[in-house]
Amino acid sequence: MRFQDAARDARAVVYAGIQADPLVARAAGLLAAATLGQRILARAVMNGETTDADGWRATFPSLFGATATDATDATERAHSEAILAASLAVADRGEQVRSQFRGAIVEELAARLLGRRVTASTVKRERRILFDGVRAEIHPYDVTVERESAAEAYDCKWGARGINADVLHQLDDARTHAADEDERLTVALVVFDARLSCTVRLGAQTAPHEGTAIVTLESLDALAGEPPRPSG
Amino acid sequence: MSETIQPVVDRALEAYERLAELGEAVEDEWSYVNDLAGAWRERLSEVGAQRGAQSTPDGASVAVDRAIAEIDLITDPHRAIDWLSTFPQIVLLALGELP
Repeated sequence: MRFQDAARDARAVVYAGIQADPLVARAAGLLAAATLGQRILARAVMNGETTDADGWRATFPSLFGATATDATDATERAHSEAILAASLAVADRGEQVRSQFRGAIVEELAARLLGRRVTASTVKRERRILFDGVRAEIHPYDVTVERESAAEAYDCKWGARGINADVLHQLDDARTHAADEDERLTVALVVFDARLSCTVRLGAQTAPHEGTAIVTLESLDALAGEPPRPSG
Repeated sequence: MSETIQPVVDRALEAYERLAELGEAVEDEWSYVNDLAGAWRERLSEVGAQRGAQSTPDGASVAVDRAIAEIDLITDPHRAIDWLSTFPQIVLLALGELP
């Protein structure tokens, strides 16, 4: 098993420009230190129809409302304000571009959380995984952790609807090919959506996913703790 | 005196029905839309059943009405599907529940 940079076709070059936009790093950095409620705020605003900041503050009273009164809450409120501002900046980009930003933010967020657990230089982006005698997949993995005997491969999705047969097959194929070479490869989907929605989506999938871990909004921080495990 | 939780949940569920109907326009996702809406409807209904007579937390009624106004602006069925997951999370958070 070996890793390789993905081919730089025209689409990849355009997307690399999105990934390199400072707004992606800013949003991912804020979300890496966010609570579940703040991540739901980001998801809502980046998905939203409106960009009225006061309206969003009213929609999340536990983050911005009168209940946020003591010193701890003041710090959290400042963080919520920063997340709101970054999310509105994404929403302002227009529908097609914001969709690309959202994807890039989830990838960057996953990479940052993984970087808390492993040596940062082992966390890579847009990499293909090659196996002897197996035709390489066209699509690269969004994030990989490239360590001897403890490699990890992640695909990242903004919403549960992004879970589909293609991505589940690709992740499971990589895991089984690695096992064929007596290598251990942890495979996981990182989904910036609620566990319940992911469970519903997975329930209708026939593609193999028993060996694929699903990381959701509720469990994102666990990426920084240990390699994710399939729920069974 | 604040509103109790049950009427807030009821308003959220009514709005959620409209959102689900819009999402059903994506034919390939009809089953997912219905399964997803069913799962979240059940979760919201549980909150109504367990805490319906309690007063809402500060700001919750306004928050849910604001979220309802947001989803009522949606005309794109694909956007509606995304919000079938997001909207109930906002409602639950406003009511002091974990999604």
